[in-house]
Amino acid sequence: MNAVMTAEAPVHGADRLHGRRARKGRPGRGAFWLIAPALVLIGVFLVLPYLNIIGMSLRPTAVGAPYGAGFTLANYANALGDGYILGVLADTLLLGVTTVPICLLLGYPVAYHLARTRSRWGGLLYVLVLSPLLVGVVVRSFGWLILLSGNGVINRALIDLGLISTALQLMNNRLGVTIALVHVFLPFMILPLVGVIQSIDPTLEQAARSLGASRLKVFWRLVLPMSWPGIQAGTSLVFVLTLSAYVTPVMLGGAQVKTMSVLVVQNLIDNFQWPAGAAQALVLSACGMVAVWLYARLTGRFMKGLQ
Amino acid sequence: MTMKRKPLAARAADAIGLAYVGAVYVFLLLPIAVIVLMSLNAGEFLTFPPQGISLRWFGALFANEAFMRAIGTSLQVAAIATVCSSVIGVAGALYVVRHATRLREGLRMMLMLPLMLPEILTAIALLFFLYASGIGTRTMFGLVVGHVLVTLPYVFTNVASALYNQDGTLEQAARSLGASPWRAFVRVTLPLIKPGIITGALFAFVISFDLFNMSLLLKGIGMTTLPLQLFDYLRWDFDPTAAAVSTVSIVVTLVAVICVDRTVGLRSLRFG
Repeated sequence: MNAVMTAEAPVHGADRLHGRRARKGRPGRGAFWLIAPALVLIGVFLVLPYLNIIGMSLRPTAVGAPYGAGFTLANYANALGDGYILGVLADTLLLGVTTVPICLLLGYPVAYHLARTRSRWGGLLYVLVLSPLLVGVVVRSFGWLILLSGNGVINRALIDLGLISTALQLMNNRLGVTIALVHVFLPFMILPLVGVIQSIDPTLEQAARSLGASRLKVFWRLVLPMSWPGIQAGTSLVFVLTLSAYVTPVMLGGAQVKTMSVLVVQNLIDNFQWPAGAAQALVLSACGMVAVWLYARLTGRFMKGLQ
Repeated sequence: MTMKRKPLAARAADAIGLAYVGAVYVFLLLPIAVIVLMSLNAGEFLTFPPQGISLRWFGALFANEAFMRAIGTSLQVAAIATVCSSVIGVAGALYVVRHATRLREGLRMMLMLPLMLPEILTAIALLFFLYASGIGTRTMFGLVVGHVLVTLPYVFTNVASALYNQDGTLEQAARSLGASPWRAFVRVTLPLIKPGIITGALFAFVISFDLFNMSLLLKGIGMTTLPLQLFDYLRWDFDPTAAAVSTVSIVVTLVAVICVDRTVGLRSLRFG
């Protein structure tokens, strides 16, 4: 409800503005009911619940109920003082740090090609890029399960070709989780890049080429710096998404790879420890936000250096 | 390309680049292709290469009551969520594009917010909130709210971009000729933004049909959706029935994509 009030207040307050709009024949206040359902939905079922998580993380644990009465900082102390939880947190961050560069290396050439192609198959290629997003995460992870398992497609093929004699361990470890995460989040890297690269005028590249710059130089000095906003957006997005991934680490990591999301869901559903889960989720979110902020600051400086 | 043929080195570089891009496309498609292939496997196990082609695992799927019920639940939740987020999203987009002035950017951000927050965290937050507010997860309400939240940005962004593409003068013309606001909307605006609505709604349906985290945390008893059922099944069984049900899910997506292609073209798809 709060969100509705704050959003409405300026409209009521700005009578001058409203008068001007009325003269132009654009009803302002009268049309407010159009946005009201969306504001109620997001205000009540998104903003309030997020504020409520903070409250939940400060509750004491209880036996036989999700949480007890009163407030305490014990959940944060437990989360930050527990070597095991800190290890899981470090593993989760490491998974993000390895997934992002691979996504960038695989995604950038595809984004460049998709942005510049004049092929009539452009629409189809676009759907191919989107396909991991459109197909459910359980289905995608299942696909990788079939490919990567000990008796799976890839191991079979390699053994049949005589390249290996015993099956490689491709899943139930970091490798399997990383492969599947790269696949799942590659579209989030490619799509912002396509937008940015499309906005770079191709005649600029042609001009630089005709003035004698090598292709590599054109890319390094012109295209790469100009696509930096897309790289920054894509890498930040993939990093944040990787931190909160749940299904992929569970299905491809088995018992070997534990991430914060897995730990949090376990605390909520299996252990019924809501305050502990809330505190751990918030610690993870805070780490993610600090990492993205630091990254934006560092790369911002780097970007200035390029120009 | 131009009058002079490119030197050999440049052509080789082009070919290597194209092969690299092609390999990434194969990587993107590989898990999906392998599932469809496996679902047509005539053999007992998920082995490669398939031992002949057969539809027997689709027969096994249709005989599997848990999966059929889960498909029904998923269709039901996705349909309700799509209708809700379409109505809320179209109205919201109309306000943001046509009526909002100073608040436009803030409102736009607010409607896109569910997309920017991690789904699992939103699901956790909603679970606590439903419990604290006494709504609970006994009814389907919480589950549907979660699905509407996640799908709303897709409807909103597709409809808003359709609205931006035409400046509203036609509506004003209809209004000045005496049409009521509702009539002007139904007879003029709605037909113009129909492609955006269709795209947004189909997108919302597909996203909701496949949503996992939200359903995992907010489902009540007897509300197992298809992704949840598949996830549970794969814990114990690893046979081509799972591939068959995954193929059904892929086909649902494919039908939606083809519909978008036929009505508005794939390039107009807005994703975030």
